[in-house]
Amino acid sequence: MAEPHAPSRRPRPARLAALGLETALGSGIDETWPRLLAGDRTGFVRRDDLVPGRSLLVAAITRPLPRIPEPLARYDCRNNALTLAALEPIESAVRDAVRAAGPARVAVVMGTSTSGASDTERALAVRRESGALPAWFRYEQLELGGVAGFVADLLGARGPAYAISTACSSGARALATARSLLALGLCDVVVAGATDTLCGLTTNGFSSLHAVSDELPNPLSANRKGLVLGEGSAVFLVTREEGGIQLTGVGERCEAHHMSAPDPDGAGAEHAMREALADAGLSPAEIAYVNLHGTGTPLNDAMESLAVARVFGERVPVSSTKALVGHTLGAAGAIEAAFSWMVLERSAGGVLMAPPHVFDGVRDPALPALHLPDKAEAVRVSGAAHVLTNSFGFGGNDCTLVLSRSLAC
Amino acid sequence: MLTLTVRSVTAWAPGIESDDEWRAWARDPRPIAALGVPDARFLPPLLRRRCTPLSKAMLQVAFAACPDAVRSQVRTVFASRHGENHESFPLFEMVVSGQPLSPMRFTHTVHNTQAALFSIAAGNRCAQSAIAGEGDTFGAGIQEALCHLEREPARPTLLVVGDVPVADFALDLTGEPPWSFALALLLAAQGEGRSVGYELSPRDPAEPPETRRAWPAALDFVRWWHGTEPRLELDGPRTRHRFTRLDAASAA
Repeated sequence: MAEPHAPSRRPRPARLAALGLETALGSGIDETWPRLLAGDRTGFVRRDDLVPGRSLLVAAITRPLPRIPEPLARYDCRNNALTLAALEPIESAVRDAVRAAGPARVAVVMGTSTSGASDTERALAVRRESGALPAWFRYEQLELGGVAGFVADLLGARGPAYAISTACSSGARALATARSLLALGLCDVVVAGATDTLCGLTTNGFSSLHAVSDELPNPLSANRKGLVLGEGSAVFLVTREEGGIQLTGVGERCEAHHMSAPDPDGAGAEHAMREALADAGLSPAEIAYVNLHGTGTPLNDAMESLAVARVFGERVPVSSTKALVGHTLGAAGAIEAAFSWMVLERSAGGVLMAPPHVFDGVRDPALPALHLPDKAEAVRVSGAAHVLTNSFGFGGNDCTLVLSRSLAC
Repeated sequence: MLTLTVRSVTAWAPGIESDDEWRAWARDPRPIAALGVPDARFLPPLLRRRCTPLSKAMLQVAFAACPDAVRSQVRTVFASRHGENHESFPLFEMVVSGQPLSPMRFTHTVHNTQAALFSIAAGNRCAQSAIAGEGDTFGAGIQEALCHLEREPARPTLLVVGDVPVADFALDLTGEPPWSFALALLLAAQGEGRSVGYELSPRDPAEPPETRRAWPAALDFVRWWHGTEPRLELDGPRTRHRFTRLDAASAA
C-alpha cells in the first residue's frame, strides 16, 4: 500500500469554535452530552409510512422543527428546517462572527445526501392525486446545493457556498473543506456541517440493498444485521483562530473497489486513518478515543475492525454512536465529529469521557479484538487531547478527521 | 489572488467534441443541445452499460483530460448542480406509488456516482469529492479543487463539471435551459501548464439578478480559454469569480 502523502506542516488553524446539533439524542450539546454518555437509545421509533409493508425502525426527530423565515420560502423543506434547528443554539454567535468578518468573508459548506427529498416525495404525491405540483414546491428545496444556499442567505453570507455530497462521508468532508478554505484565505469564517432527513428514497433504497436491520443497531456484534437509518444535523462555526478545539487532521482515500460495498481488507480505511494522523503530526498512541463509522452492516464492521486493529490495536476506546442516533448518511460525518468535539469540550482535569459502545455485547469472534467500553469510560490525558472519527461512504469514499484540544492553562 | 496551473481543458457537449469544434464554438457560441450522449468507448462494456448519460459525459472528459500515466494519480472533484436528479425522479415516483426500488438504480443516484465510477475505471485511489452549488456550481468546483490542491500541493487535481437536464416536470423550475455538457480541467499548484489567477469577490446585493444563461458558466470558461481576453468574470448568485491570464500578463 502506498504511504500516506507527506502533509504540509505549515500552520493552518481551524478552530471549531461553536457547535449546534439536532439528532434523535436531543437538541444542542447540553441535552445531548449526558444521553451520549448514558448510551440512550430512546430516539428509535417504528414508522409504517416509509417502506411499503414494513414497520421500519428509524432514529427520527419527532420534535417540531422551526419555521423557515418567509423571505426564504423557496428553501422551505424539512432538511433546511432541521439545519435551522441545529443552528439555532449558536445562531447569535454565528451572526456575531459574520458581522465581525464581513459577509464577503463568510463561507458556508454543508454536507447532505438527501436535501429536500422527503418534500419532493410529498410534492409528487400531491401531483399524483391532483395532476399538478403544489404551489409551494421549488427546485431549491430539492437540489443538493440548496442547503448551503439556504444557510448563506439566512446569514447574509457572500463567500463560497456549496454542498458536498459524497454519500456517508459528506459531513466529514465539509469540515475538511472548511479548513482548506480558511488556509487558502478565501474566507475568514466558515459555517460548516451537514444535514440529512429520513425519506422514502433512502429508506426504500437501503432496504432494496438488504442493508437495513429490523432490530436496534448492533455494531460490531456477531449478531449484527445491518444499519438503522436516522436523521439529524450538526453545524460548526469554524474560524482561523488558534486554541480551543482544532481540526488538526484530515485523511482521505478512495477505495476504487465497488459502488456500494467496502473493500473487505480495510486498506482504504487504514490509509485514511494513517493519513489523518500524519496530517495532525500524531502517533496512534496519542489518540484518546476513536468514533467508528460502525454502521452495523456485516461488511463495514468487518473491514473497519481490521483497519482499526492494525492502526490502534486494542488500546484505545472505540465506539459507534450510530447505535444511538442511527445512520444519518450525509450528516453522519458531521454528527460524529460533533460527538467527538463534545468529548474534548467536556474534558476536565486531564480526564475525558469516551462514549460507550452500545450493542448486545456479543463480540464477533471473526473480528479482531477492539477496546469497546460497555459504559462511558474515563481516559487520562495530559498536555493535549486528540480524538479521531471515521466516515466511509458509498463509492469507497473514505474520510477520517482528527480533532485536538490543548489542555495547557 | 490565488494561482492555478491549468494543464488541460477538455469539454464535451452534443455535437461539439473535438478541440477544433470547441474553438469554432468559442468564436461563434450558440446554445447547447439538451440531449446527447458520448460513446465512452474506452469504458469496459460492463461498466459502460451501468453508466447514465451524465456518467458517460463526465467520464468521457475525465479520461480525455488525463494522460494514461497520470489518470490513477490525481485527486478528483466532480461538480454537478443537478447530479443524477434525472435518474432519481423515476425512483421518487416509484416510492410515491409504493413500488419496490432497484438496488442498482438507487446506488447510481448518489451524487458521487461519477467519482466512484471514475475511481474504479481508472484504478484511482486518491481523494475525491463531489459537490453541488446551485447556479454557481462551476465556481464552487474551482473552490473545491483549490481546497484539494491546498491539502496536497504536489498532486494535480482533476475538476470535472457536468450536467444533463432534470426530469421534465421540474425543467421549468431550475431557471436555466436544459443542456447536456461536461468539462474537465486538469489543475495543479505549479509546474507545467498555463498559469491562471483566481479572485473571489461578493456580488453587490443591489445588482439585478443575473439573466438566464444561454449556456453553462463552465463553457464560458472554455470560450475564454480558447480566446485572448485577459480576464473572465463569472457571476454566481452571491459571488463573482474573476480569472486572469497570468502568462499573457507576464509576457506583455
